[in-house]
Order: sequence, then C-alpha cells, then structure tokens
Amino acid sequence: MSAGRPKDEGTLVERVFWRFTLVILIGYALLPVVWLTSLSLKPSGDLTDQRFFPRAIGLEHYAAVFRDPQFPAALGNSLGIGLIATLISVALATLAAYAIVRLRFPGRQAVLVGALAVAMFPPIAIIGPLFDLWRLLGLFDTWLGLIIPYITLTLPLAIWTISAFFREIPWELEQAARVDGATRLGAFRHVILPLVAPGVFASAILVFIFAWNDFLFAAALTSTTSSRTVPAAIAFFTGASRFEQPTGSIAAASVIVTIPVVVLILLFQRRIVAGLTAGAVKG
Amino acid sequence: MSRQVLDERRLGWLLCAPAVLAMLLVTAYPIAYAVWLSLHRYDLRFPDQQAFVGLANYASVLTSEVWWRSLFNTLLITAGSVAVELLLGFGLALVMHRALVGRIALRTASLVPYAIITVVAALGWRFAFDPTTGFVNALLGLDQAWLSERWSAFVVIIATEIWKTTPFVALLLLAGLTLVPPDLIRAARVDGASAWQRLVHITLPLMKPAILVALLFRTLDAFRIFDTVYVQTRGAQDTETVSIVAYQALIARLNLGLGSAVSVMIFIGTILIALLYVRLLGAGALGRGGRQG
Amino acid sequence: MPARPHLLLALITLALLGCERPQPEGPPTLRWYVFKEQSGAFEEAARRCTAASQGRYQLDLAYLPTDADLQRELLVRRLAAGDTDIDLIGMDVIWTAELAEAGWVLPWPEAQARSVLTGRIAGPVASGSYQDRLWAAPFTTNTQLLWYRTDRVATLPLTWDAMIDQAESIGQGGLIQAQGERYEGLTVFFVSLLASAGGSVLDESGERVSLEPVPTRKALEVMRRLARSPASDSSLASSREDQCRLAFESGRSAFMLNYTYVWPSAQANAPEVADHMGWARWPALAPALKSRVTIGGINIGVGANSRHPELAFEAATCLVSEDSQRLAARMGGLPPTLSALYDDPEVRAIFPFADVLRTTLADAVQRPPTPVYSDISIAISRTLHPLRDIAPERDVDRLRRAVERALHSEGLL
Repeated sequence: MSAGRPKDEGTLVERVFWRFTLVILIGYALLPVVWLTSLSLKPSGDLTDQRFFPRAIGLEHYAAVFRDPQFPAALGNSLGIGLIATLISVALATLAAYAIVRLRFPGRQAVLVGALAVAMFPPIAIIGPLFDLWRLLGLFDTWLGLIIPYITLTLPLAIWTISAFFREIPWELEQAARVDGATRLGAFRHVILPLVAPGVFASAILVFIFAWNDFLFAAALTSTTSSRTVPAAIAFFTGASRFEQPTGSIAAASVIVTIPVVVLILLFQRRIVAGLTAGAVKG
Repeated sequence: MSRQVLDERRLGWLLCAPAVLAMLLVTAYPIAYAVWLSLHRYDLRFPDQQAFVGLANYASVLTSEVWWRSLFNTLLITAGSVAVELLLGFGLALVMHRALVGRIALRTASLVPYAIITVVAALGWRFAFDPTTGFVNALLGLDQAWLSERWSAFVVIIATEIWKTTPFVALLLLAGLTLVPPDLIRAARVDGASAWQRLVHITLPLMKPAILVALLFRTLDAFRIFDTVYVQTRGAQDTETVSIVAYQALIARLNLGLGSAVSVMIFIGTILIALLYVRLLGAGALGRGGRQG
Repeated sequence: MPARPHLLLALITLALLGCERPQPEGPPTLRWYVFKEQSGAFEEAARRCTAASQGRYQLDLAYLPTDADLQRELLVRRLAAGDTDIDLIGMDVIWTAELAEAGWVLPWPEAQARSVLTGRIAGPVASGSYQDRLWAAPFTTNTQLLWYRTDRVATLPLTWDAMIDQAESIGQGGLIQAQGERYEGLTVFFVSLLASAGGSVLDESGERVSLEPVPTRKALEVMRRLARSPASDSSLASSREDQCRLAFESGRSAFMLNYTYVWPSAQANAPEVADHMGWARWPALAPALKSRVTIGGINIGVGANSRHPELAFEAATCLVSEDSQRLAARMGGLPPTLSALYDDPEVRAIFPFADVLRTTLADAVQRPPTPVYSDISIAISRTLHPLRDIAPERDVDRLRRAVERALHSEGLL
C-alpha cells in the first residue's frame, strides 16, 4: 500500500510543512465541532459575545437539555430506531451479498444494479406517499414508521459493502468445510461468518450513521417524543419563549449527539474507511 | 448437475428475496403511488374534493416560477459544492496519500464531517455566521447578516456542504489513488516526466473511474439537498431547493397531489443525472480496459 | 450479529411494545395542544380547570413548537394522521377555516357556543367562526400597537410617511422596528397596511381575490419606503417580532410595531427603555384614513378525533372563562377577549394601554378567512420579500397572480 510513498522522513522543511498542513486540515475538520462545544459551554449572558472561545465555562445548557423531556426521549428513539434498522438491514444484506458473490443464479447482477438505483433514489420522492400510507396504516409517529424506510434506504450501501468484503474471502475454506461434511448453512456460520464479521461490522457502522443522521423522514413522519429522533428534535427545539431561539440548548444537544459519532470514529476509523470505499471503487 | 444448478438458483433467489422485497416495497411502490397521486387533486385539507385531474399538477409545476427558481438554486448549489469538493478532495487525498506524519490522525479527523449529523453541522455553521452569536463577522470585521441575503446565504449553504462532504470525496479519491501502480510513476520519473506531467498523464487517467464515481455520488447527493437548507434558511431569501419545495407542498401544505408532481419531477431529474454519469463511467471503464490490454 | 435472530426478535418486540402506551388509571386525561407560554399561565389555568372538574378529567398541556409556521405544520400533520391524542387545541386565529373545512375540529354545540360567546369582543368571535358556525371559542386576543420613545419623539406621527420622516430626522437611535422576514408576520404586516389603505386580500365570500389596485399599491409603497429608508434596521429582511423587541430594548430604535408582550418584557429587561416607552395606535396611511390592524390571539377548539369530545368541550369552556382570561392577562400579559375585563382595574394595571388596545381591536381586520390561508400567506410573504426590492407597479400584479394561484391551491409555493 505504502510502496509509493517516500520512505525517508524528508528534510526539516518538508517535515515542518507536513506538520503544518496536518494541523490546518485537522483544524478544518473539527472547526464546527469545537465551535459548538464552546458555544454550549458559554453562560447564557455570553452567547452573543461573538467570541470563538468561551470567556467563562458553565454547564447550564447541558442541564437544561436534560431537564427538558424532549431531548432524552429523542436520544432513546434515535438509538433504538437506529440499532434496530441497522440489525435488520445488515442481516438482510448479508444474506443477499452471500448469494450474489457465492451463488450463480440469473438476476444477481440485477440485484446489484437495482440496489445502486435505490442508492441514488431521492428520498423526497416517497415522503408524500409514505405519509399517506403511514397515516392509513397507523404507522405515523411510530418507531416502525422510521425503521422501515431506514432499512430500505440503507440496504444498497450494506449490500455493496458486504459484497465487496465477501469477494475477498478465501472460499476454499468453505469448500473444505463442506467436504468435511458441513452443510451450507453450517459452513457459512462457522467458517465464513467469522471471516466477514469485520466487514459486516464496518457496514453496520455506516448504516447506523445513516439512520442516526436522517432528518427528512424524521421531520415528516414523526411528531412527538414517542418517535421523534435527534436531528428532528434539535431542529425543532422549543425555546423558553415563543420568540426566543434556544441557541445554548441546541449547541449542548448537538455536542451530546456528536460524542457517540466521534467515539465510533476513534474506535473504528480503519473499518469505516474500508467500508466507505469498498463498495464504491472495487464494485 | 442440472438439479444442483436449480437448487443453487432457488437458494440465490431465496436469499436475495427479503432484501429485494424490502427495497421494492419502500421505493417502487411509493413512487408508483406518487405518480398516481400526481395525477389527482389530492389535498388533505379538502378531503371531499379528490378527483382525477390528468397532467394539471404538472402544468402547475412547470409554469411556476418557484419551480424553475428552485431548480436553478439546486443546480447552483450542486455545481458550486461539487466542483470545490472535487478540487479540495483531491488535494486532501494527495495529502493523505503522501503525508509523512499523522496519517491516521488526519484520516480520523476527516471522518468527523462525514459522520456528524447534517442538521448539527448546518446549525453549527448557522450559529457561526449569525451576526449576534457568531464569530465569523468578528473575525472578518464585517457586519453581514449572512443568512438574510440571497447570495451570502448561498455562500453559507455551499460552505456547509463543502465542509461536510469533502472528506468523503477525498476518501473515494484516495482509494483510486492507491490503485495507481507506484512502478508506473517511478518509471515516468526516471523518464524525466515532471510532477505535473505525471499527474495529468498517468495519475488522473487511471483515477478516472474513481473520480466519476465520486462525482456521481456527490452530484446526486447535492441535487437532493434538504437538511442544510431547511435548517439554515428554510428556503427563505430565495434559497429554496427542489426538495424544499416538494417538502413544503407535501408536508407543510398536505397538498399530496401537487407535491407528488414535484417529487416525480425530482425523480426524473435524478434519473437523468444518473444516466449521464453512467454513460461517462461506461466510457471511462472502456478506456481503462483499452490501456491495460 | 446477523446470526443471532433471537436478539433481533427480542429487540423488535421491545420496539413494538414501546409504542403501546398504557392507559393510566383515574380520570381521563385531556391533552391541550398549545404554544409554549413562558409565564406558566396556561399550566395554571389547566390546573384550575382540572381542580374545578372535581375529578372528571385531568387536563394536561402538550407544547407546540415555538415557530408559528412550524406549530401549524406539526399540528396539521398529526390531525391529518388521525391522532386521537389531540383533545383541545389552542388555535391560532388563522387556523379556523382550514381545520374546520378539513373536518379536523368539531363545531361547538349550540348551547355551549352561546355561553362562550357572551360578552366577547366581536373581532375574536369572528376569528373563531367559519361559515356561520363556531369552531373555536375566543380565549385571548392580540394586536399590534405603535411603541415609541417618548424622549426622542416630540409629537406623535399619525401617518406612516410622517413616522418615517421623523425617524430619519432623529438619525442615531431613530430606527423603526417592523417584521420583514419572509414568514407569516410579513403577511400580517401587509394585511394591516392594506386594510389601513381600505383594501382587502379576498372579497367577502372568501373565494375570490380582491386586492384592489389603489390600496394595494399604497401598501406596497409604504413597505418599500420603509425598507429603503435609513431609518429601517439593516436586518429588516430577517427580523421577526422578537428581533424587533430586542432591537428596541437595546435602545437604538425610536419606533416599533409590535404586540403588547413587549411592554412587560421591556420593564423586566430594559427598565431604562421602559421608562421612556410610549404607545399609540398604529399610524394611518393618510390623515383621512383610520389604521386597521390585524387581529391575533388564541381560540380553543376540540379535536375531531378526541376520545372524549364532551369532556373536551367542558374543559374548553372552563379555559375561556373569565377566571382563565384574567389569569392569562395577569401572568402572561395576554389581552382578554371579554370586553368587560378592559374596565377591570387589575387588568388596566397590566395593560396601561387598555383603551388604545380596545379601540384598535374594535377596528381590527381579520386575516383572509379561507382554508388555504397558509398558502396565501406564503404567496404574499414570498412575493413581497425582501421589502426593499418591492416594485409597487409590477408587484401589484405579481401579488394578485400569486394569491390567485394559492387560492385555487394550484400554485407551487
């Protein structure tokens, strides 16, 4: 992988240059996060001081966010809906990806192309029909009402990334297991699954990030704390008064929901990158 | 033998069926329903007045200045953000590819914009540019109400998009970059090719598929932009995008007939963009095959 | 992970169970959907009505978002989805026609309607009625006044032109605060100006566009002049009621068109400004014309899918009673709809401008009473925003076309 890069550490100038570039780029990537953090720590009186860093630090906005029942409920909804959608999506995608890579049957290319088409699909196009259907089926403002579209819209991503990982598996191992008398299912479970688990996990993270991120469906198909997720809750935050923008609370809530994302990234950055690029380029 | 083939087919279909069904059920069926709705007067505020109206909704959309302006806005945001993202993304990919130190730190940091909730990013930038809470005016010594004027609002929206998705573009391009055989580069260098020549004649052609894939994904993504605009201006100051227009008609006004006509138009727009790229991509793939052969 | 279907099933079951809300024991709970009122007056009113019901119902509040457009959007979506959780609705006056036409609220039964209409001011009564039936009982009302700095304004201007002239001559600290953001408040601004010029958006049937050319042009000219005047705030294009209030409290303004809530707010947040704060009726468009200002406020309706409609009407009747109105005035500074309360010493202490308020309300104008009001409002605010770019000649026609399309719910907004 790194064969193309110069192996030497370079001259002093080069090293300084790289370090400088690095700091700039990392700063660029983290800028809004740092800004929101600093905003969330400013006491109410300092919110309009136009300074990047807070003069004094207070946790009042965090306390306010958790006092308000909207936000904790939204956190629970987001976690629950995101995890369930991820589990189902990844499970269905693993089955499909196995079939596409491992079995010969007419239409497997069509599944991949179809999945690609779904990936390009504009979600806004189905918001209206879904709203009309959901209100007739009683799925409006329920967990299931969000889980279903999330599964659908993340399946393409999951199928493509998991297929890409499946292609790298030494399938002789499955062959060997079956020669030893294992069933197809047995061979899959005991030999193949452990091998693809990292890949499946990577796409699970991507799927979860998608569900955690979605605003459009959450805004259109939910309305109360019983299913409203974090992005919609933050965007529709009720301020203390009819006319006042709850800037501090929004900032605090934003920081709180960014923490899990940052933790995921810190723990699994290699896998996330692999998953992101696997489907797109190798496929 | 034939039985084994049949079994394999059946198993293949069986394993794909749940995923395919799930995808069809929530895309094909609703889009068909959207087409049906778009041919009707179907306004939930007038439950007694539902009727087939043919293409009247489409006529309304196509003769509306709102539609054309929002389409223009959407294409402007798409072109502006995708072009800059591609350039910055390429630079970032080169840095990630060649960085001597802190490669992992850089990659980790650049995942933050990709993974952060779009609504949160949009709010962060909105507060940053806000004349009373933000630091941008203080930093630049300006007194600009960024989001209350059209062009400056576009600047904020496009900047947010660029910030959010450049790392994604960079990662895709980086994957393409690693596919360029180092030997080829080294050979070219021995032959006396300058860095610029190596980039234009070797690296870029080999990366064409990766570039097109990145372009395709980002163009489609930018074309359906919703979250950022909704949070930052909610379409005010003439910054409405087609998705915002559809959302307003469908969800705020519950005029499902008219809104569905907009949805179908967006769907068609998406297909056109995808077809364009698929043609380009096909040519790119062929070109690569030819060179290798 | 996918190899553990049991975990998956368990989670799904959990999720589905999570959706079932167990019905608590005790009296039926009625939910009152209303905007979040800062002072707690609504909570207190609900508490008192619950107590007065002697255990027949429990009235709880459910808050709508802060933003007026979002309130409607959220509520209407839930009503369209047939939500049975919505018993009482604190209805903005502009929702009456829409919710009634769609069948999302119940008409008030004859007898109860009579009792909640006695002694109420005519404007609020009209705002809760649609096609000769009462759909929402008048609770609190509201309208804008002209607020000004007594220390900077020697003689009170009676017309818009006079006010702008005067503000320009003050220079520093002479700004005029009005609502110029592209939202419903801009429509309110326009409707008030138009009515002050003797025009109206729709004709009396509510089915045809009126927008008489002369008054419309007059209204647009005033908006344009204000927006281009050095006396208008540079952030006019993004200013709503609260930005105006803050800008007035900061001391850099001489005039402000705003609701009565700014009075208690100034007293609490900027006493030095409140000391020099005067009030008057909105300026007129010409000395010979009377200013007519748009009426606002909250009426109480009963959701069509409520599980307990009779109890809901009973609770609504309690909420609009004299006691509750007095409470809303005292705690929340919300003007009552009961005419007699404007002579009540306690109420007059809260609203030292009670007489100006009452005369303004007497001449107040309704926003167009049509189910597509929100479309019309979007059409108007979109056509006129930003105010500084208004070209009266051209925009009279643009406005008419936009409102026409909105009225036939065919235009894309």
